[in-house]
This record gives sequence, C-alpha cells and structure tokens, in this order.
Amino acid sequence: MVASVPKRLGRALVLLVLAVFILLPLAQTILLGYISTMPKTGMPIGSFSLINYGNIVKSPVLLASIGNSLTYVLLNVSLCLVAGLPAAYALSRYRFVGDKHVLLMLLTFRLTPPVALSLPVFLLFAELNLVDSPIGIGLVHCLFNLPIAIWILERFISEIPRAFDETAFLDGHSLPGFFVKMLIPAIAPGIAVAAFFCFIFSWVEVVFARILTVTSGKPITMAINAMFTFQTDVGLVMAMTTLSLVPGVAMIYFVRNHISKGFAVRV
Amino acid sequence: MIPALAVMGLVGVVPLLAAFNYAFFDIFTIQQAYWVGDEWYRQIITSDRFYASFGRSLLFSALVMSVQFSLGIALARMVSRMGPSRIFVLMLVALPLVVPWNMIAMMWQSLIHPETGIAGRAMAFAGIGFDYKFNAIHTWILLIVMDTWHWIGLVVILAYAGFSGIPKAYYQAAAIDGASSFAVFRHIELPKITSALSIAILLRFMDSFMINTEAFAMNAGGPYYATSFLSLDLSEDIKAFNYGSTAARSMLYFLIVMTVAWLFRIWVERQGRVDDGVQVVKVGG
Repeated sequence: MVASVPKRLGRALVLLVLAVFILLPLAQTILLGYISTMPKTGMPIGSFSLINYGNIVKSPVLLASIGNSLTYVLLNVSLCLVAGLPAAYALSRYRFVGDKHVLLMLLTFRLTPPVALSLPVFLLFAELNLVDSPIGIGLVHCLFNLPIAIWILERFISEIPRAFDETAFLDGHSLPGFFVKMLIPAIAPGIAVAAFFCFIFSWVEVVFARILTVTSGKPITMAINAMFTFQTDVGLVMAMTTLSLVPGVAMIYFVRNHISKGFAVRV
Repeated sequence: MIPALAVMGLVGVVPLLAAFNYAFFDIFTIQQAYWVGDEWYRQIITSDRFYASFGRSLLFSALVMSVQFSLGIALARMVSRMGPSRIFVLMLVALPLVVPWNMIAMMWQSLIHPETGIAGRAMAFAGIGFDYKFNAIHTWILLIVMDTWHWIGLVVILAYAGFSGIPKAYYQAAAIDGASSFAVFRHIELPKITSALSIAILLRFMDSFMINTEAFAMNAGGPYYATSFLSLDLSEDIKAFNYGSTAARSMLYFLIVMTVAWLFRIWVERQGRVDDGVQVVKVGG
C-alpha cells in the first residue's frame, strides 16, 4: 500500500505528537538526573554535572537496592517459567477435569489487586520467615505473573501442531527429554515474551515489594521512596529513576520483534 | 500442572482463606481476636463512603478506557499500515510500561512543576494555571493523562496484534467492493480485533478500577476525597492496622473481581460462538 503525500504528512505528525507525549516525562527525568540540586555539594544549584551518578556509586544502600531488585525479579522470572511451562503444556494439549476452573482461577488472581491480598500475604510470609528476603517477593509476584506466563506460553505451544509432539514420542523421547530438547527451542520466542512481561511487571510492582521488606532487602523502588525526606535531592532521585529504567528498556529491545505476539487469554 | 498450582495455592488461595477468616473477627493482635460475625461487612456496605468510592472508581475506569481505547485502536491501525519502522513505534509506546509505578506520579509532578518542569514552564508561559493539589478537576485530568501515558502502550500492542492477524484477502475483497475506509474498519477490522482486544479491555478495566500506587502518590486521594478510589480506602485500613475491616474489604473486592472475571468468561464464550457462526455462513455462501 502506497500512501498519498498528505496522508503521509498526517501520519508523521501523529507520530511526532506521540513521541513528544511519551518522551517528555522521560526527558524531564533524565535531564534532572544530570543536574545538581543540593546546595552542600559546593557547586551552584542547577549546573550540569555527573555528581548524582557519582553519589549513587558511592552509596552502598543504593547499589544494594539494585542488586535486591534484580535478585527477586530474576527469581520470579525463572519460577514463572519453570512452573508455567508444564502448566501451559497441559492446558494446551490435554482436557482434564477442572481445567476450566484452573483458567478462571488464573484470571481471577491476575485481576485481584495486590493491595487486597497484602495483609494476609504479609502474615503468612512472616510465619514462613520470608519477610525481608528476595525469595518472598519473587514468590509473591507469581500471583500476577504466573497467569501471564501461562497464557503466553499456552498460545505459543498451541501454534505448534500436535504431530510435532507425537513424532517426538515415536522417536523415543521421554516427556522431560522432549521438553528440554524439542519444545523449548521450538517456542523460544514465546519464552522470551513471557520472560519479558514477567520481568517488567515484577520490576515495576511496589505494593508487595513495600510490605515484604520491613528492615532490609529493600528493592530499588523503595530505595527511591526512602530518598524523599525533608530536603529531597531531586537530582539524585531522578538519576536513580533513570537507572531503574535501564533493564526494562534493554528488555524491550531484546523482544522487539515478538512483543506483539503475546497475550491471548484463555478462559 | 502441579508446580503451578502449588505456587498459586501458596500466594493466592491460602492468603485468601486467611482473609476470609479474619474478616469475621475484631483483631487487636493475632492472638487476641474476637468473633464479630458479619459486622465488618455490614459496616462497609452500609457506609456512604464505600458507594462514593465505588462510583469514583467506576467513573475513572470509564473515562480512562474511552480515552485509551479510542486512541490506542487508532494508533494501532495506523501502525499496522506502516513499513518496518513499525517496530520503533511499538518500542516507543512500550517505554512507559517499564517505569516503576511509584515513580510515575513523581515524574509527572516534576514535569508540570511551574518552575522546573518542561510542561509546567510552558503552561505558566501560556498563562494556564494548573493546580493539581487543590483543584479536583485538575487532579482528575492529570490522573487520566498520566494513566493514558502509562498504559496506552499495552492497548496499542494488543490491538496491533489483532490488526496484524487479519488476512490480506479481506482488504483486497473490500477494495474490489469499493468499501470506504470507515466501512473497512467497522465491518472487517473491528470484529476481527475484538478477541485480541478483549484481554486488553479486561486488564485495563480491572487495573484502572483498582488503581492504587499512582493515584496515592499523586495526591493521596485528595483534594477532599475527590480521588479516593476503592483501593485507596483499603490502603487506609491497612495503615491503621485494622485487620478485620481490611480483610472484609479484601473479600468484597475479591468478590467484585471474581464477578468481573466470570462475566468476562461468559462474554468470551458468546463471542466465540458468534465467530463460529460467521465462519459457517462464509463456508455456506
């Protein structure tokens, strides 16, 4: 389809407006990250500098918070994939008693706002000694990420014809062997997309991350919250926020060709 | 199936049952609990505040969804007609999705700050006074713009998935018939993208209906409760360590979620039957 000139101009204009709308808040944040905003640093307020990034590198608390976030997010992604893959395979290939109920349950838990479960989750995890540990957060984020992982993986598995499995079994592959050697390579893009969505939803979540870290193990989001005091160093906050965007942006780039092939919810 | 069910059981079912149980008690500490029956539920569902918050949440969802879906579908339609550069547009709209939720309100507040913000200075220069702290309408506008910024990417990406699944033959047939652009959209594209969009509709409805972090960070439910949504009432209960009432509220919200999920399932099943019907007609015709 070749578009006419006015049509192309119109499209360019729409894209320009969209880009400005999306990028403006990000630009503001990134810019402020390079500006000194505290008087004590010996340089005039508002001058361009790398001091905020220098301060991050010098602060063990902030560095640790990046590590904490990465730990529980990666833990959550692997949990969702390991638990989600067999479930997605079962839902895609077999009909069993209660499969419809399982799908409805997944949907319901994905929709339940974290704040509604935060109190009982906190009490339960305190009982299990999972408060202040990345394992607790990684686990609880499965509440909304596991359904997403299952939906995405199920969609990709269902696109593979059943004959693919049957041939593999005839060739003498066991079920686990088939999973590792044939199924996983065949749905690699699906695994990437599922990992992407689990990663970002776990990375950006704050309700559980807040209530499950009382004294230590603070994630990056809470470290930023803690910076708001009587005299907030806005530049430092913005620099930290900019850093918190880096993994997500990298993930977007990583799955850019498959990103639109994800969700198809089955109920 | 078993590992998935075990995980969901631990993080979903067990806390839910616990909440169900707590909701019948007046709890000072976990060891000191008094049976109060359905009193918490009665208190919540007879309070005017519950219905006011419910109404506000519903209005917020309606506004946010009408903005995001009309814009999102139009954008996705445009993107689906573009060349390889479409990938960059999809990456662009996905950017806000990776911003941590507690940072979103802060980014927008700093953007519209009248002295240091880019948009704030532009508005001050143009003589537009914008006061999101004390003007309820302005708070609402800011929340809707912010939510649209945050979530339009999801709508565009899912709608785009719907558009890219439409076979070329449909467009060719429409071109031969001389169908207008609007007719193509109304009779070919819209029915075809509905199933792809249904999940977007559901996710956006529930997430906006239960909006929490962003709304609280923006103005803490103010001014004068004008943006105190359902989930903010719940946060307030939690902060007051009001276990019984929190649990009862959680159960009520869970019931709402459950009802919506169940209605959604009925709707999707009906949708599936209509689709099958169309296919039969096509084969026959």
